[in-house]
Amino acid sequence: MQAGLKDKTIRYSLPLLALVAAFLFPLFVSSPTYVQIMILLYFYAYLTTSWNLVGGFAGVLPLGHSAFVGIGAYTSTVLYLHYGLTPWLGMFVGGALAALVGVMIGKPTFKMRGAYFALSSIAFAEGLRVMVENINKLGPFTINGPRGLLIPLVGDSFIKYQFLRKEPYYYIILIMLILVLALTYMVSRRRMGYYLAAGGEEPEAAESLGVNVARYKLMAMAISCFLTALAGTFYAQLTLYFYPKGILGLDLSFELAFIALIGGRGTIAGPILGAFLLRPLNEFTRIYLGGYLPGLHLVIFGLILILVMIYQPRGLQEPLSRLYDKVIRKLTTRSHAMGVEKA
Amino acid sequence: MDVILQATVNGLLMGSIYGLTALGLTLIFGIMKVINFAHGSILMVGMFAAYWLVELTGIHPYLALFIVVPFLFFFGYYLQAIVIQPVFKAERHVREPITVIIVTTGIWYVLDNLAMMLFGAKYRVVTTAITGHTFTIGDLIISVPKLYGLIATLASAVLLYWFLKYTRMGRAMRATSLDRDAASLMGINQYKVYNIAFGLGTAVAGVAGCALIPFYYVFPTVGVVFDIRAFVIVVLGGLGSIMGALLGGMIIGVIESVFSQFMASTWTEGIIYVIFLFILFVKPSGLFGMKQDW
Amino acid sequence: MKLLDIQDLTKNFGGLTAVNSLSMSLETGQILGLIGPNGAGKSTVFNCIAGVCPPTSGKIAFKGKEITGQKPWDICRKRIARTFQLVKPFASKTVLYNVMVGTFSQTKSTAEAEEKALKVLERLHLDQKKDALAGSLTIADRKRLELARALATEPELLLLDEVMAGLRPTEVEEMIVIIKGIRKNGVTIFVIEHIIRAIMALSDWIVVIHFGEKIAEGTPAQVSQDERVIKAYLGEEYVTARNQGD
Repeated sequence: MQAGLKDKTIRYSLPLLALVAAFLFPLFVSSPTYVQIMILLYFYAYLTTSWNLVGGFAGVLPLGHSAFVGIGAYTSTVLYLHYGLTPWLGMFVGGALAALVGVMIGKPTFKMRGAYFALSSIAFAEGLRVMVENINKLGPFTINGPRGLLIPLVGDSFIKYQFLRKEPYYYIILIMLILVLALTYMVSRRRMGYYLAAGGEEPEAAESLGVNVARYKLMAMAISCFLTALAGTFYAQLTLYFYPKGILGLDLSFELAFIALIGGRGTIAGPILGAFLLRPLNEFTRIYLGGYLPGLHLVIFGLILILVMIYQPRGLQEPLSRLYDKVIRKLTTRSHAMGVEKA
Repeated sequence: MDVILQATVNGLLMGSIYGLTALGLTLIFGIMKVINFAHGSILMVGMFAAYWLVELTGIHPYLALFIVVPFLFFFGYYLQAIVIQPVFKAERHVREPITVIIVTTGIWYVLDNLAMMLFGAKYRVVTTAITGHTFTIGDLIISVPKLYGLIATLASAVLLYWFLKYTRMGRAMRATSLDRDAASLMGINQYKVYNIAFGLGTAVAGVAGCALIPFYYVFPTVGVVFDIRAFVIVVLGGLGSIMGALLGGMIIGVIESVFSQFMASTWTEGIIYVIFLFILFVKPSGLFGMKQDW
Repeated sequence: MKLLDIQDLTKNFGGLTAVNSLSMSLETGQILGLIGPNGAGKSTVFNCIAGVCPPTSGKIAFKGKEITGQKPWDICRKRIARTFQLVKPFASKTVLYNVMVGTFSQTKSTAEAEEKALKVLERLHLDQKKDALAGSLTIADRKRLELARALATEPELLLLDEVMAGLRPTEVEEMIVIIKGIRKNGVTIFVIEHIIRAIMALSDWIVVIHFGEKIAEGTPAQVSQDERVIKAYLGEEYVTARNQGD
């Protein structure tokens, strides 16, 4: 039993350490640029983890998830600009709307083949973007078409979800990320997770075992869309400006999907791993090579996706977690040996 | 009324080229059961190839066909053989070959951004021997390049049909599409069939590329426009159906053309998506599609 | 009361009539065998009962209540389980995981589901392989896993679709013992089988169908002598030759 305890403590100590480091980070690093980098990192990790609930656990391929980011951002912002409703509440309205829309799209498309679902998600996201770009006013609400929405700066105001410094945003997104990871972990360990995995892999068999596959997929979709929309509001409040091409665009949708796929969809570690590996890679290639060849970083990104899909279709988390296991075992045997020696 | 008639004629002509793009896509699906998300990007490659050829040599775009089409055939053939095949093989027995979809999406992404990187976002247009030529029938103005496009489409469809029905390889392809395992037991190398099928699909896209450059802008993301149209058409007409692709193309072309008389072109874009979603929800097997186990 | 009562079941697929006005029933505690030449429509009958494809016409009643056309997951909750002719394991998951998907129909708690699953695996002698990936199992083990999964849902009626197919003779014997054991535990079993040895050994009652219609039924002994059955399986000439030989 001693060995088992040791193994567990070492195995979980690294993520725990990372967690503590994450919380202490802003206390040691004051440069807003770096804090901003971490904020965006957590933001993407959050989005890909939410995506994973549908794209990973439910076994379908959503390629238009930015639609829900946009729904979140637009809903909370429009309600704030027009009614003065605090974005903290507006965010939940956006989430609910996104969940509703997600279920409406999911209901007819989940029955179809994976490719058709992927196509529908693209069609929906692009259709939404085009519509939004064409609308200036929706009833009493200003949408502003392709120019997007600007949130007036009011300085530090919690109720208005605006802060002058980066630190509050950092902690908000960090907490959101932790919650979403915890949620994913819980789902995977409980009946819903098992049912989703079964339904995604062999729906007929799952149905014969009592799983209403369609219903579970829709549940996963609703949760995922809800969570994704919350991030949309966060982004809106962080940057105080967004526009259709950016927040509803196919680029964002693809980026989310690709990161989760490269990291390893269907696993908990995959999406975060993907985000933490690929976002910095994208940023650096863009900054350093973008001067000579604009868009090269995207080409590299796409190539990485293709290579990973050919050689490690379960994502990079598979070889990396095996490596991690090896390291853990080496450490436990070493400490074991030390323990024996002491005795 | 005249306006609508003119719009309808334009729509039919443009729609035939949409149909041509869809033809390649439906062929690939019909035989491999794979939806090639990168099809629009491959069309874009064809368009750029034709563009550069014409721009640099001044050759007639329909003569450029003889270079572009084989080029795209081999491009597709090797793309399939080298990039897609390993994943395809790995997912042979999986119910839903999602990784293949992911890889073709990756190819879409890479090709579009590569083109952006190499050629920039500029909208290019080339003047060819037939650009801007029109002739009139009564009150109707018929655009010559578009008419050529229609002829190219019909010719391609007929050739394809003949190939599939009467040649040995064509029969092999049809056999593989019906039952890949049985076909391979008959001595048909299914992977060779797939490579050729893919190559044919992209070759057809090459024809479309040549047909488009006399009158359409060439830019890196042009593929997305045609990709979406192609998907809508293929779903409308039914996956795997040549007739469906052609008819579906014309229908979409006409809808687009007529609607844009009454609303901004950006709205028509939206209409296409709405139609797409509508068809998916109401009759996913399309007009002529084979009954799939959806 | 009859546990399962099928009345005038008909299923058409486009122009093809797979099952034609079939009527039959099962008593509680029985093992009933359904046999017939290939393509006779046996799996279709199962699919109709299990809710995979709703019948074109006819009624299916379970414990006196009608279940015709209900969804597979509801049928499972009503305590009818089935296996598939072409096994469908969740290949990327462990054996234990596979069975837990079944036991989750009985409990919401993961710990309890695991406990129950382990018990089922023990009964079927698969517990040693609980952490193996389902995709890596031999065909015999996969068939057992399929059975284990179905049993995990604690059914009263079990539909076994050619569960012996592909097994070696020793494995067939083992499976016969297992199935008899399942019946001892109070499960009524409806078996489709091609392996005559197995069906004769297991069944209390046999129904024979051909081209979707019932052509004979009776005890194994009765059915094996029935002329119509022999004709269906072996052809007209054999019957004539046999009669001439008499």
